[in-house]
Amino acid sequence: MNDALDTLWLFLLLVAPAASAVLALVPYPAVGRDAARIGSLVALAAALGLLVEGASGRWGEYLGLDSLSEVFLVMVTSIYATSAWYSDGYLRAVHRPFLTPQIYYALLHAFAFAMIATLVVSDLGLMWIGIEATTVASALLIVLERKPTSVEAAWRYTLIASAGLTIALFALLLIYATTGTLDAFALAAAPPAVTLPIEMAVALALVGYGTKVGLFPMHSWLPDAHSEAPSPISALFSGVLLPTALYTFARVYAILPRPAPAAITDLLILFGLTSAFVGAFLLQRQRSFKRLFAYSSMEVMGIAVVGLALGGVALYGALVLLVAHAFAKSAAFYCSGNVLRGTGTNRIDEVRDLRHRMPRTSGAWILAAFAVTGAPPFGTFLGELLIVVGALAAGWYDVALLLALVILIAFLGVNSQIGRMVFGEPTAAPGPAHPGAEDGAWIAFVNVGVALVIGVAALPYLSGALGAAARILGGSTP
Amino acid sequence: MDGSTEVVALVGVGILLTALYLQSESFVDPMIGGIALQSLLLALLLGWLAWSEKSLDLLVLAALTVIIRALVIPYVLRRQIRAFRWRLREIHAANRVTGHALAAVAAAIIAWFVFQQTFASGFPEVGAALPFVLLVQGLLMLATRSNTLVQVIGYLEEENAIVYAGALYAHAFPLFVETVVFLDVLGVVLVGVILSIQRDVTGTPEESALEELSG
Repeated sequence: MNDALDTLWLFLLLVAPAASAVLALVPYPAVGRDAARIGSLVALAAALGLLVEGASGRWGEYLGLDSLSEVFLVMVTSIYATSAWYSDGYLRAVHRPFLTPQIYYALLHAFAFAMIATLVVSDLGLMWIGIEATTVASALLIVLERKPTSVEAAWRYTLIASAGLTIALFALLLIYATTGTLDAFALAAAPPAVTLPIEMAVALALVGYGTKVGLFPMHSWLPDAHSEAPSPISALFSGVLLPTALYTFARVYAILPRPAPAAITDLLILFGLTSAFVGAFLLQRQRSFKRLFAYSSMEVMGIAVVGLALGGVALYGALVLLVAHAFAKSAAFYCSGNVLRGTGTNRIDEVRDLRHRMPRTSGAWILAAFAVTGAPPFGTFLGELLIVVGALAAGWYDVALLLALVILIAFLGVNSQIGRMVFGEPTAAPGPAHPGAEDGAWIAFVNVGVALVIGVAALPYLSGALGAAARILGGSTP
Repeated sequence: MDGSTEVVALVGVGILLTALYLQSESFVDPMIGGIALQSLLLALLLGWLAWSEKSLDLLVLAALTVIIRALVIPYVLRRQIRAFRWRLREIHAANRVTGHALAAVAAAIIAWFVFQQTFASGFPEVGAALPFVLLVQGLLMLATRSNTLVQVIGYLEEENAIVYAGALYAHAFPLFVETVVFLDVLGVVLVGVILSIQRDVTGTPEESALEELSG
């Protein structure tokens, strides 16, 4: 049962971003900045406290935690904290911002609060509200830089994500009409009989939540929103919003008995592999480095969905992949923000010789690019390896082969483009990078370092928490 | 079929007809009238069900449907048309009216067939497939139109489909009223805030297929 300390952690987890949002509106920018830094760190400490305590159980009718939600909470609060720290320097460089720093920080906290709330509730309907709240809170953040492309990206994001989520809500209505409850924990503990309406409801939930995860063919909002949002928000989108949406689908998927019906498994693998291949192929022809990383996120989410479908050790691998990817991809976006500020462009063809112009940022960028594409010894490598091994162990040889192929395609595509920008010779003498553009590079190094540590420590030290989380969804520890 | 189910089925068919009308229209102002009419029909249905089932939740939903989706959002949309100085007709949809209408009928038939083949065993209510058909119509509108005002109408149609489904076979759904309020808030944010920003920055409600967003 819950002891007082667990309750205190949960209280702090919810109150810290909410209080920070209120403080952000105080008309002294320093208060908002400091509140963001302190509040996000308090939320991270609370999430770590819950994970270390191994807190599980219910708080009232609608709040509930288990290992799965705690792993995701640590992931969300970590990237929330690093984005809050990175934001100050980034905001100072934005010319004529659409939002004041006060409103920016208030929306940032609201966005983080919505994700945290999604992860601490036990009711599928409330999870849906949480995910929809992330759309409301984050849509305006995309237009910070007041560009026509940003407005269009915000519009597409709001409309497409909301359209997808209405499909997910329809699925929840069908589940409720069939089972009489939306309590995710109760449904997972005593799964309803597998009937055609239940299978169809889970399939509709995949389509609905898959829109927010960025699965093909509902992904079209993703590259626009990720590339047009300010970099700290892009980091939150790619690093933790997509996994939080996947978490919500996983809770719906968990109402099916294990092993899941073959039709649903096949559907997940089909969506996952198709998304991974579409992302991997489209990233090859991108002209903007932020869009490059956006399509890379789509590829990674596709692979994670395949891991979820395969279960067993592949599901453990999917969790390792998601956690490591959150840190690696956020680092990649922080570096992208630095490069954007330093060079004034997001065009791959216009950025060269970064190793001399922005040595710290380019160093972190190279490492982050390797990390997001699954290079050893980063955690993403371990995660993808476990998914491929899981596919082989389950007899899905064709899926294992396709996964290996798509990982290779994405690895070559991302790293060749980043390599050209860092090591490529300039065609004309480039001017010096904008002063102060490297300010947040240390945050990127920290996050890449965490992705590295996950690769080294996931099996010997983290297997307790990650294994318990995987088992909730029918996975196993290697 | 008793009197009550006849009313439910009759109003349901009316809602479906408004959905098909919306697909075949390219003038924005009549479309706003169309979605307001659809919302009113839905509110009528909700009111009838609230009365026959003595449900306060359904009554609140009926009131919300009238106030937000039949009155407030259509009013704001009309103000947006004037503020955009728009000529009231979609650029891209004007030449594709026949195609849109045919696609809408085909989508309705397919959605009906899919529902009957998959969900019908669990949902024997008269007209249970209609909310699903309406949902598909809303999605079709979102997917095929490039005018942001029309896309809002597609979003409202989806929301109507959700409320319709909830009322018909899951009105005990916990927090359903709150969920619908949340959808309404998002609708208001869409039409009130983001459309206004778009007006300030781009000056047109048509998606301009900005080159930078492709590739």
